[in-house]
Amino acid sequence: MPDKPSQNASSGDEKRRTRYAMVIDLRHCVGCHSCSVACKSENEVPLGKFRSWVKVIEKGRYPDVSRQFLPSLCNNCANPICNRNCPVRATYIRPDGIVGVNQHRCIGCMYCMASCPYDVRYINPLRKIVQKCFFCDHRVDKGLEPACVETCLGRARIFGDINDPNSEIAQIMSTNPVVTLKPELGTEPHVFYIAADYDAMDSTSGVDINFILFEEPY
Amino acid sequence: MDPSNVNLLYNSPHQIPLGILLAQYFYLTGLSAGSFVVSVIAILGGKTEYKPLGKIGAVVAPLCLILAPMNLLVEMAQPLRAWHLMTYLPGYINPKSPITYGVMLLTAYPISAIIYAFFVYTGNIKMSKVFAIIGIPLAISVHGYTGFIIALGKGRALWNTALMPTLFIVSAMVSGIALMILAAIIRNVYFSKGKTEDEVEADRKLIYGLGKFLGGTIIFDLFLILNAVLVLLTSSKEAWHAAELLLWGRYSLDFLGIEILAGSVIPLFMVFYPKTANSLKGLTIASVLVMIGIYAMRYSVVVGGQSVPLH
Repeated sequence: MPDKPSQNASSGDEKRRTRYAMVIDLRHCVGCHSCSVACKSENEVPLGKFRSWVKVIEKGRYPDVSRQFLPSLCNNCANPICNRNCPVRATYIRPDGIVGVNQHRCIGCMYCMASCPYDVRYINPLRKIVQKCFFCDHRVDKGLEPACVETCLGRARIFGDINDPNSEIAQIMSTNPVVTLKPELGTEPHVFYIAADYDAMDSTSGVDINFILFEEPY
Repeated sequence: MDPSNVNLLYNSPHQIPLGILLAQYFYLTGLSAGSFVVSVIAILGGKTEYKPLGKIGAVVAPLCLILAPMNLLVEMAQPLRAWHLMTYLPGYINPKSPITYGVMLLTAYPISAIIYAFFVYTGNIKMSKVFAIIGIPLAISVHGYTGFIIALGKGRALWNTALMPTLFIVSAMVSGIALMILAAIIRNVYFSKGKTEDEVEADRKLIYGLGKFLGGTIIFDLFLILNAVLVLLTSSKEAWHAAELLLWGRYSLDFLGIEILAGSVIPLFMVFYPKTANSLKGLTIASVLVMIGIYAMRYSVVVGGQSVPLH
């Protein structure tokens, strides 16, 4: 019997509820892709699919050039579109804020993949179900950090409970300006970036929109 | 930042989750809804000369609808788990998802359409009118809910417009009327043994009237598309890129060439220009063009809408 899915998590309880989030400090990111590799190894992500990846752009004209990085993963939104649109409630929000996918209930209709504004979900071609980054919930439930956070060379990723005033992430978020991707959509993503580049966050910069190579979902 | 100074070096692959099979599913439910509505108008309209149309539509509608879910089952990644959609236990049903309602409609509507067809063919006028009235909201919903599936996909700029359910229903009417014209022409030309000349001629006048109805619906469809495209061009950046793809980009052949020009404008002239409007050949060509055009519309909305990069 699968877990009973819960409604949208709300913070209005007398006892403080855990809410996991991640801060990615791009001043420390060197674009090594270790987070991407560690995630693939930890979660057995199939070839060609990514739970976490690093978008790399190059901007400027010589001699004023630089590379900008945007490590992306599922934002585990507080008001996700995927959760609202799943017809069988395979996608559910855990009380600690992580958006889970019930691997036995998913029918593979791919409506969540079409609805996600960040394109973070994929179909596992071997198991034929929808998967995404779950903030390594199997590690978090045992008190460890997600694989990408643990392996980041520059200590760019910080993970924790933002409702705990003593956690590192709460202190960093309170003392630094943070942004999210696509805030205007109202999904309330919980992956926050410090010093993210405008062109890196822009989904259509640097691409010729008529020549994008498409992939079949599975 | 000047766009010419930005190069994308690495990004995760761009996937298209809902493919052409889903566009076909929308097309077939549209045909079914459109022909059912035409059939009901013919039966409820009262004049006995409309009755043949009612009979044709009553058969075409459930037929198209039986073909439609096969596309869904092939498109899904786990078709053997499709029964999960039917478990209406508390905690498992999601009332906020349009697909939930779609599954209920996809079971209720074919049953009501088949019962309606039964009563039309056995000549029971009263019961067929009852089931026509029950079936109309079901038919419109079975296609309207697909418009909601598209419109509630908030992340995609081409999809998230309030016009989408209406546009889908109007396109369904257009393609349904075109299919009915074709079916009526086939019946008139090939199955008219034992009918007098006057009856065949009256039948033809009916088909010409259907042609004018098609023209009116095409005008409404073109108006809605014009609204959608104009607002796309003046909205957000992603919306502008979606309009760019449709109007002068990758999908311009499907959208402007097939859907608008060959699928709407040329048939519109054909159904109002006297020489082609009053000939069966002209109406056949116009109907075939319309049906191809509406298929291209489904394709460009479903696949073209997913072609704007999101990350």
